[in-house]
Amino acid sequence: MKLATFLKFTLPSAVTMAVLLALPLLMTIWLSVVNCSPVLELQKTEQTGPFGSHVVTAQRFKVDANGQALKSCQFVGFDFYKNILGIQSISVADPVDQKLPTDGHNEFLSALSFTLLYTAVTTPFILFIGLVLALVTQKISDRFKGLVISMALLPFIITPVVGALAIKWLFRDDGLVFNLLSHVGVQIYWMSEAWSAKLLVIFYGVWHVSPFAFIVLYAGLQGVPQDSLEAARLDGASKLQVLWFVTLPHLAPLTIFITLIHLMDSYRVFEPILVLTQGVFTTSVQFLTYSILLDESNPYKASAASVLTLVGIGFLLAPLLKRTWSEQRNAR
Amino acid sequence: MQRRKLIGFALPLVVNPAVFAGSICHESKYRADVNIVANSFPVIQHLAKVAKSCASDSLKVNVKLTSKVQNEVEIAFSSSGKSPFDAAVVSASVFNDLYSKNQLYSLKGLVNKFKDQHKIEERMIVRMNGDPMAIAFMQNTQVLYYRRDIFKRLGLSVPKTYDEMFATAAIIKKLDPAIANPIAQCFSKGWDLATEFTNVISSLGGRFFHEGTALPAFNSEQGVQAIELMRQMLPYMSPNALASNADDVMNQLQQGRAAMGVLWASRASRMDDPTASKVVGLIDFAPAPAARSGGGTAAHLWWDGVVMPRNGPNQRDATFAVLMEMLSESSVESGNDLAIWVRSNFKPGRASTGVKLAMEAGAKIWPAEPFFNLAHLQLGKVLADAVKGLRDPAQALAGAADAYKQSAIEKSFLKRDLA
Repeated sequence: MKLATFLKFTLPSAVTMAVLLALPLLMTIWLSVVNCSPVLELQKTEQTGPFGSHVVTAQRFKVDANGQALKSCQFVGFDFYKNILGIQSISVADPVDQKLPTDGHNEFLSALSFTLLYTAVTTPFILFIGLVLALVTQKISDRFKGLVISMALLPFIITPVVGALAIKWLFRDDGLVFNLLSHVGVQIYWMSEAWSAKLLVIFYGVWHVSPFAFIVLYAGLQGVPQDSLEAARLDGASKLQVLWFVTLPHLAPLTIFITLIHLMDSYRVFEPILVLTQGVFTTSVQFLTYSILLDESNPYKASAASVLTLVGIGFLLAPLLKRTWSEQRNAR
Repeated sequence: MQRRKLIGFALPLVVNPAVFAGSICHESKYRADVNIVANSFPVIQHLAKVAKSCASDSLKVNVKLTSKVQNEVEIAFSSSGKSPFDAAVVSASVFNDLYSKNQLYSLKGLVNKFKDQHKIEERMIVRMNGDPMAIAFMQNTQVLYYRRDIFKRLGLSVPKTYDEMFATAAIIKKLDPAIANPIAQCFSKGWDLATEFTNVISSLGGRFFHEGTALPAFNSEQGVQAIELMRQMLPYMSPNALASNADDVMNQLQQGRAAMGVLWASRASRMDDPTASKVVGLIDFAPAPAARSGGGTAAHLWWDGVVMPRNGPNQRDATFAVLMEMLSESSVESGNDLAIWVRSNFKPGRASTGVKLAMEAGAKIWPAEPFFNLAHLQLGKVLADAVKGLRDPAQALAGAADAYKQSAIEKSFLKRDLA
């Protein structure tokens, strides 16, 4: 192929990817190593309002002639990374500090450990449930297939926040599940202990994503060669052997695809943490980034947390990507 | 015939509030597209309806209701271009933050020009060093909700301190098997829990910061006492308490599953809403208990008001007219029971006594330091584990103080010690 033809085919997508993917990524990396903070001035302010008046002495942002806050920006290197990872001690000119030792609790490590737990537990479950649903749907009458597929897809169609809210209302005090379990003598307050809060978030993840695995595997099942299945049956293979030796190998590439997508998604788990538990006993890397960006209003530190998230996803995906790369090379 | 005429005249008023005569915002001179951002609780929904009633062929009014109003406002008001919002409805806490960032437009000119026309009362105007920066419309605080019927039946008196509250809760738990968890309070991890801590430490006489500096002082003996007091409350609350926000607490009280609890005064009228409450007319209100005998009520005073961004589009008069219509006498009259209004034509009902009670019991004004929100945020992250007993209170507070110092350095409120 001529270079000019090659470029005509590839350049539009290459430019699009550079603008929409590479450039924002580079900007995020740049933001993570700088810090812009406001220029402050100490001011005594008397506030008068519905409750009378009171005086506050505190810093206030300086602004320029156009009313824009004056900022001072500096290169801080890996300070934000060290801070997030808890490997940088803080030193402040604080004459009244009680110097009490902290217990070394690190928010990022807590978030990372639950994110990895969530990823590790939900992935096999969604693959298994998705496969079972696909196999069952394959067997049922064509009249009911449309209905079953629609019903099974519902959790995936629902917006994650709405889905998480629905699960919360089912499991909270006086919720349907809480009441049903109480009737059989089991009273679980799901947000009261770490194990139950974690279980609830994991349950949500499995409930929400299994339909995705189901629909992909169901599509894959339609492509299993009928002659291979018949040959296996003629050779005396049991149903389980047909599944194990014929169907599953055929679905293997799709399983890798689902795993890849779910690893990326689960590493960014956010909505169930925000809605179901509000971070009680459960927090995730994405939730932490969100908190730094919006609650702390610190886009620079949040960029460092984003880059760390990306590195984490890279580590998780590396084996699967390596395998896919090898398969593609061998296929040539 | 006369009745028909009357109905014919009154019906359009009910169906379409835009036909109210005399509203300033309906003056045809305004040609603008006014965008307002606000929170989404009931009184704000009422204000949004009133604002939209100003809309005409030449005046467009959009009100964005969101639970993330602080984030939306922070981004819009700090934008280097024009803010997409002409105004915002904010709490005192958000106001303090915006004011410290110098992002608010002074309402001096507008107030001087329109004060009489819009009947703006002096106590509605929030002045900073004499300069009007916001117009307040409602007040709020936390008060004790308690079941009058249960207290009367068991011969209990209303607790004035948290120790009395725990003793009362123990009696109810013992004598009334229907109330397994007598106390319902906003202990949800994050903002709610940090707000409870702020109330309690303040009532204990503790400080958040060292005088005149941004250095943390909440990691103190009173801070530890505050956590221990909050921990003592857990056995009387739903085991899900650490995930219970104001909606959950309101639900527990409305469904009769709790006998008392400290909650926002603005939610009081919802207790008597027959469509949602099983305890209509059975809940009374008192000041939030003090954290120690002789201390002030463990609650703070809040106000909500309207502000305009310094970087707002140049349609100030039209925006101000819409805002003042939202806060007008007729708006207060039609939404009387939705809030504890600042305007003098507000008629306080049974459920509107909260702020007066709290003021009489010594409630302080919510902290106004610009770095307060950073400390509040870090406390919100550690308090759940400390209250639950998973972390030592003193060490958890020390951790929060360190995290606060780090974020305060990043925002220039504190200087890094280079020595």
